[in-house]
Amino acid sequence: MTDVVKTPTPAPGAAPPAAPPAPAAAPASVSLTIDGMAVTVAKGTNVLEAARTLGIDISAFCYHPGLPIVAQCRQCLVAVEKNPKLQPSCQQTCGEGMVVHTTDAQSTLARKQQLEFTLLNHPIDCPICDKAGECTLQRLYFEHDNADSRVDVPKVHKKKVVDLGPTVVLDQERCILCSRCIRTCDQVAGEHQLEFAHRGDHEVLTTAPGAELDNPYSVNTVDVCPVGALTAKDFRFTMRAWELEATPSVCNGCATGCNIEIHHKNDRAWRLVPRHNPEVNDYWMCDEGRLTYHPLREQRLVGATVDGLPSGWDRAIKAAADRLTAALASSKQAVGVVLSAEASNEDNFALAKLAKAWGVTNVYVASKPDVPERADGKLRVADVNPNRAGAVAIAEALGFAARPTMDLSADVRTLVVLGSALPDIDDAQLAELEIIAIASHDRGPVGVARVALPSAAWAEAAGTVTNQKGHVQRMHAAFGPPGQALPAWEAVVRLAQATGAKLGYAHAREVFKDMTQAVPAWSALTWAREARPLALRFAGSRG
Amino acid sequence: MAAPITTDARSLKQLVLGRKDVQDLSDTEQELPSDLMTVNMGPSHPAMHGTVRIVLTVDGERVVAGDVQPGYLHRCFEKESEYATFTQVFPYTDRLNYVSPMINNCGWAMAVEKLMGLTGHIPKRAEYIRVIVSEMSRITDHLTCVGASAMELGAFAVFLFFLKAREWMYELLEKVSGARLTHSYVRIGGVGKDLPDNFHADLTLCLDQTVKVIAEGEGLLNNNKIFRDRMAGIGAMTKADAIATGCVGPIARAAGVDYDVRKDYPYSVYPEVEFDVPVGTTGDCFDRYLVRIEELKQSIRILRQCLKQIPDGPVMSSDHRVALPPKQATYNTIESMIRHFKHIMDGIKVPAGEGYAFVEGGNGELGFYVVADGTGRPYKAYVRSPSFVHLSTAAQLIHGHLIADVVPIFGMINMIGGECDK
Repeated sequence: MTDVVKTPTPAPGAAPPAAPPAPAAAPASVSLTIDGMAVTVAKGTNVLEAARTLGIDISAFCYHPGLPIVAQCRQCLVAVEKNPKLQPSCQQTCGEGMVVHTTDAQSTLARKQQLEFTLLNHPIDCPICDKAGECTLQRLYFEHDNADSRVDVPKVHKKKVVDLGPTVVLDQERCILCSRCIRTCDQVAGEHQLEFAHRGDHEVLTTAPGAELDNPYSVNTVDVCPVGALTAKDFRFTMRAWELEATPSVCNGCATGCNIEIHHKNDRAWRLVPRHNPEVNDYWMCDEGRLTYHPLREQRLVGATVDGLPSGWDRAIKAAADRLTAALASSKQAVGVVLSAEASNEDNFALAKLAKAWGVTNVYVASKPDVPERADGKLRVADVNPNRAGAVAIAEALGFAARPTMDLSADVRTLVVLGSALPDIDDAQLAELEIIAIASHDRGPVGVARVALPSAAWAEAAGTVTNQKGHVQRMHAAFGPPGQALPAWEAVVRLAQATGAKLGYAHAREVFKDMTQAVPAWSALTWAREARPLALRFAGSRG
Repeated sequence: MAAPITTDARSLKQLVLGRKDVQDLSDTEQELPSDLMTVNMGPSHPAMHGTVRIVLTVDGERVVAGDVQPGYLHRCFEKESEYATFTQVFPYTDRLNYVSPMINNCGWAMAVEKLMGLTGHIPKRAEYIRVIVSEMSRITDHLTCVGASAMELGAFAVFLFFLKAREWMYELLEKVSGARLTHSYVRIGGVGKDLPDNFHADLTLCLDQTVKVIAEGEGLLNNNKIFRDRMAGIGAMTKADAIATGCVGPIARAAGVDYDVRKDYPYSVYPEVEFDVPVGTTGDCFDRYLVRIEELKQSIRILRQCLKQIPDGPVMSSDHRVALPPKQATYNTIESMIRHFKHIMDGIKVPAGEGYAFVEGGNGELGFYVVADGTGRPYKAYVRSPSFVHLSTAAQLIHGHLIADVVPIFGMINMIGGECDK
């Protein structure tokens, strides 16, 4: 699922990217043989990754491509010729002319036995375990061992519910001691909060002395956990993993734009998990971003309203068009248009294009204020708007000044607002304005709007957002919008037709295409194919 | 052979209304009009097995052309299978030829086993059980076909006798599988559970009684003038036509094609039992009837041998790739728990590849073509359903016969909606 528009572009407004720099001397590569197949990989690649390029799945627990290698699970042992002992393939760097065997009797048996050891004290929890269905231990046992139990002694029991911190719960019995979570804390959050204690079959994962698992990236430990030892308080016991479907999207929590998968079922999202993108978020995302699916079901505007009373789309559009036509006839200066740094490029572009068609010049960009304490030099940034760069670039490309709403012109009497945020405008000022809102949520100016048109939220419509670095990234619709809501660009098109402006988009793709022609920095972008939801049940384990 | 194609509105109207408008009639044509008439038979017609519609073009009582339109029982068997695990497809196969579901179960299991390299590694007892339930299913299939066709020709007693015998079989199959009609009994790697207690005695008794019922039915039908007049020489098909149209099973054998999958491509333990394949000469409805009656007797013969030869032992392969662990182990060891979980939730992992396996179904060669992509569900499943092929010959067979003959011809084709429409 790498069909996101990932063309990196410099800051909007700058010149389009030059041709990629000519490659320096070809990166050094080594050739080796794995199971009789020759493969050439970049120098420094480990044997496990080299085998994966050949489609050979070497079992492994502690290895994670985004974490330091510790080779402590011993699950990826392979035979390397001229080497008397089996080697952990995650730690073994590929050497020129190396001959590796993964299917020989010795290493196969070693890996089988290792699995047997790992299962020795593992509790019989699958039916009540949140990880069941996406568990690496289940997958590796089924694919690499699949033998009967030979244990005839009682299992060692440990603590079942250990509260590690505000976000994560640990089950010590399920833990297979791979240390992925410890390394994730050290590496991703930069905080040493987890440790192993005791030895032998009494060894447990626990918090470091005086610490608890409390950092902005703590839930990544749940993602990397190959078993159900770590579970997120937000997700545990809510939905079985194998019943979910995954749709690729982009986190709308801040201007970083972490690539995510929306895991959804029955027209609602159940969790967000990070999706690998080395240019944006690597394998990770922050805890705050993971919770951004909750507002999708809170305070939604599900039907069009006129003067606060429910109405159909047709009546609402007509009411809006009547007001706007009258206002535009009096003075172009009397009408203002507010773009949103929280809405997609397509929604913003359609509205900006409509403002252009009306001849309106008072165009503003509404955005949530920065949160400076968020910025940590990692994934979290101060700007909590997913698409400020995109909204500004669109406004500028169409010749507008893209002022903040603070500079609202005193001439403006009627305001067309995209989104439900209108910062820097107090209630007294709001009461004097005639608001026509296109919003997904019923709050802020929507409450006093003359006409409110319900729009789809970020997870419900196809579109793109532009992150702080200028990456234009694609979001796919995971499920449909609630009630009568439509994608905002579609509401704009209806409004345009009712006011006699020429704006005839039938699909977000068409808005996108028009937009790439209007914004020079985005001229090389293409619209990726629609992604169909992937049923996790048949996607195999993803540990 | 096909209906004359009429394009202009007026002749089409005549075809539909069966007469000309009064003002169009000349003085000499004032009497009975001799134009063709169109008659609908089905989709819901008491003498049509399953829901199928035939648009008959008749010249008086004689059928000039028949447009056979199946599809009323389409359930997306093949597409649905792509969204179920390999094991979850069994209930869908039950609903193919629903008067012989056990044979369908076996066919699907064999196709998947072929892909997994399990063919020939199924426990002997399971193979015998598969043959036993398959032959019992063949008996229910033929009893239904012959009984229903006899009823449609007025021999109601035969229908009641045969369905009584069929019910004995169903009751026995219910004891075996837990369900009267939709058994879902066979598993990949064996069968779901062992035969019930006292099965040998029950089946022996059942067979003894069924033999008597068949003799009774034969006595009522074989030399019955009405039955013979309605069946003999009706809907005949030549051997060459049977081969050219892809007919199999009792229909092809009645036409003289000596082809039975159980003999020509032996599977399971059929090589270990003795039986004969009846072959007809005329290819008409009466021969189809005779072939089916003889197959009933041969099935009984196979069953008696199986009861003698069936060995003791497991009824499920011990291969961990396909066998669910015993419940005791599932609840008490993590290894079996995981295996159980993976089998149920993700499905049996079938290595990537494609394979075709076929069995002798009630209506002839029933084949399953499966494409696997290494996951727990079929990438593509295709069923070669004999009813669908046979139905394609129906228009030819009824051509030139009387309307009343459509009923026995259709009855002896034995189109089963579930199998034909997939």
